[in-house]
Amino acid sequence: MTARSFSTPWNSFFFAQQSPVPVALFRIIYGVVVIATAALLHADWLAWYGPHSWISAATMHLVEPGTRLNLFSVIPQTDFWVRALFWLLIASAACLTIGLCTRLNTVLVFLCLTSIDQRNLFILHGGDTFLRVAGFFLIFAPAGAALSVDRLMRIWRGKEGRAIRPRLPWAQRMTQLELALLYLVSFWWKMKGGAWLEGTALYYVFHLDEFQRFPIPSFFLRPAVLRVGSWLTLAAEFSLGALIWIKKLRYPLLAIGVLFHLTLEYSINVPMFQWDVLSAYVLFIEPADLARVWNWIRTHSAKYFAERLTVIYDGASPRQTRSANLLQAIDIFGRLSLVDQRESPAHRGGEKLQVATSAGVLRGPHAARALARVIPLLWPIVPFLAFRRS
Amino acid sequence: MPKAPKKGNVPHPRRLFGLKKWQYLALNIFIVFHILAITAWAIPFHSQFIVDCRNVVRPYLLWTGLFQSWDMFSPLPKATNTYLEAVVIYQDGSTQMWDFPRMELLSLADKYSKERYRKFVEVLLDDRNAALRPDVARYVARLPGIRAKNPQKILLMVKWSNILPRGDGTYLRTPLDEYVFYRYDVQPEDLQ
Repeated sequence: MTARSFSTPWNSFFFAQQSPVPVALFRIIYGVVVIATAALLHADWLAWYGPHSWISAATMHLVEPGTRLNLFSVIPQTDFWVRALFWLLIASAACLTIGLCTRLNTVLVFLCLTSIDQRNLFILHGGDTFLRVAGFFLIFAPAGAALSVDRLMRIWRGKEGRAIRPRLPWAQRMTQLELALLYLVSFWWKMKGGAWLEGTALYYVFHLDEFQRFPIPSFFLRPAVLRVGSWLTLAAEFSLGALIWIKKLRYPLLAIGVLFHLTLEYSINVPMFQWDVLSAYVLFIEPADLARVWNWIRTHSAKYFAERLTVIYDGASPRQTRSANLLQAIDIFGRLSLVDQRESPAHRGGEKLQVATSAGVLRGPHAARALARVIPLLWPIVPFLAFRRS
Repeated sequence: MPKAPKKGNVPHPRRLFGLKKWQYLALNIFIVFHILAITAWAIPFHSQFIVDCRNVVRPYLLWTGLFQSWDMFSPLPKATNTYLEAVVIYQDGSTQMWDFPRMELLSLADKYSKERYRKFVEVLLDDRNAALRPDVARYVARLPGIRAKNPQKILLMVKWSNILPRGDGTYLRTPLDEYVFYRYDVQPEDLQ
C-alpha cells in the first residue's frame, strides 16, 4: 500500500469540496433540538444547576476533578446568572437555527451546552453527549454557508452570488464519524454481555417501569419476538456504524435507522435522545439527492401557491442585481423567474425591480406585496406591506 | 523555445484544496488526533496501550467535553425496578416519606421534562457515587414543605423488585424489598 493509495481517498473524504447544504440543514435541526432540550429542562434549571441545586458545584468538582470548559465556574453563583446562561443558550440556538452570526453562535451554543453538561454530569444521557460533541465540530463547519441569514446578508452586500459555493466537508465528516462511532461502540458494549446475544435483553428493557412511555402491544412482548428484536438491534447498530459507509447501502440503512429510532421514541422514555441522533442523518445524504428531493417537493407543492412571477431586473445595476440574487436565495419553492432586462428587450424600461404577473407589470409596493405572497419566507411581512402606501 | 524545468524542480501547487500547506497539515493533525483520541476513549477495550492513550488524552477530552460513553442497556440491561424515597424524621419524632419522581407515575408531559430524575436516581444508587448523597439529603431537607418543620434526619431508601421472566412471555415481579442505604443528620446550616 503506497502513501498515495491512502492519501487519495483520505483527501477525497475530508477535503473534496462539496455543497454545504447538508451541514446547513443539520445546523437548523440541531438548533431546534438544542432549544427543545433547554425548554424541557426549564422547570428544573435551578434544581439541577442553581446555587442550591441537588449537587453543589463544589461536590461536582470533588467527584469529577479536572480543568473543564465550564462557564458556571466563572459566572456568579446566583439564580439570575444560571437562568441567564440558559437564556443565552436558547437565544444562541435560535440564531444558529436561522443562521444569524452563525460562527459566533456555534461557539456560544457549544460553550453553554458543555458548561451545562459539566456542571451536572449525573443527569446526562447519550443524546446530550452527542449534541455536545456534534456542537464542537459544528464550530468548524461551514454551517452558515447556505440556508442562512448570513448568506442573505452576504448576497445583499454583493460578496456572494446566487450559487452556493462548495466548501470543505471535513467538519461534517467528523460528525458523521462520531455518529458511526456511537453505533459501533454501542454494538460492541452489547456484544460484551450475554443477554443481547441470547436475545433476552429487550425483555428486561421493556419491563423496566422507568423507561415505559406508550403501551407496547402484547404481541411484541412475546419472548420469541423480543429475541428477534434483540438481535435486530445488534444488527442495526453494527450496520449503522460500519456499513453506512458503503454508498449503495446508505439510504436503506438510514431508513432502517429512522424506523429503529422512531420505535425507541415510542417505546422508551429517554426524551430527545432519538431526535438528537436522527438530526445528524441529514449529513449522510448526498447534496444532489437533497436537491432532487427538494425539487420534488417544489413540483408537488406548486398547486398550493399562487401563479409564478417573473422578476425583471437591470443587470447593469448592482443594487438590482443584488436584490434579484436575494430574491432567488429566499425563493425556496421556485416561484420566481428572474429576467435581466438587458437580455429581454420586451421587458426594458424600469429603474426599479418589476414583477410581471398575469394581470400586468407591477412596481414598488404592489410588486413587493405580490412577491411576499408567493415566497413563504416573506409571509411574516405581508401584513406590514398591506399598510404601505402605493 | 521554453526551458524545460530542471530535474527535481517540479512546480508544486501553492494550495491544496484551497488551503495553504500549513493549514492543510494542521487540519490533518487535528483530524487524526481527534479520531484517535475519541476512539481510544470510547471503545470498550482495556488493553494497557488503550489505557495509556486515554491517560494522555484525558485532560483534553475532559476540558473540551469530548469525553463520551455509549453503554446504555449494556453490557447487561438492568433486571430490577428500583424506586428511591427519602424518609424525613422531624424534631418532634414524626416522619414523612418523600418520593423522587417516578417516571411510570408521571403524565406524558412530565415524563419528558422529569426524565433527568430517572438517570439521577440510577446514579445515586451506585455506591461509586456515594459522595453525592450528602448533597441530596441536604436538598431534600431544604425543600419548602420539609424545611419549615425542622427536619432532623434524612434517610435515603431504595425499594426494589426483580424482574423474573416466565417462559410464556409474561413476567413476574418479586415483592418489593427495601433498604436504607444512607443516613444524614441535618445540621442547622443545611437549612439556610
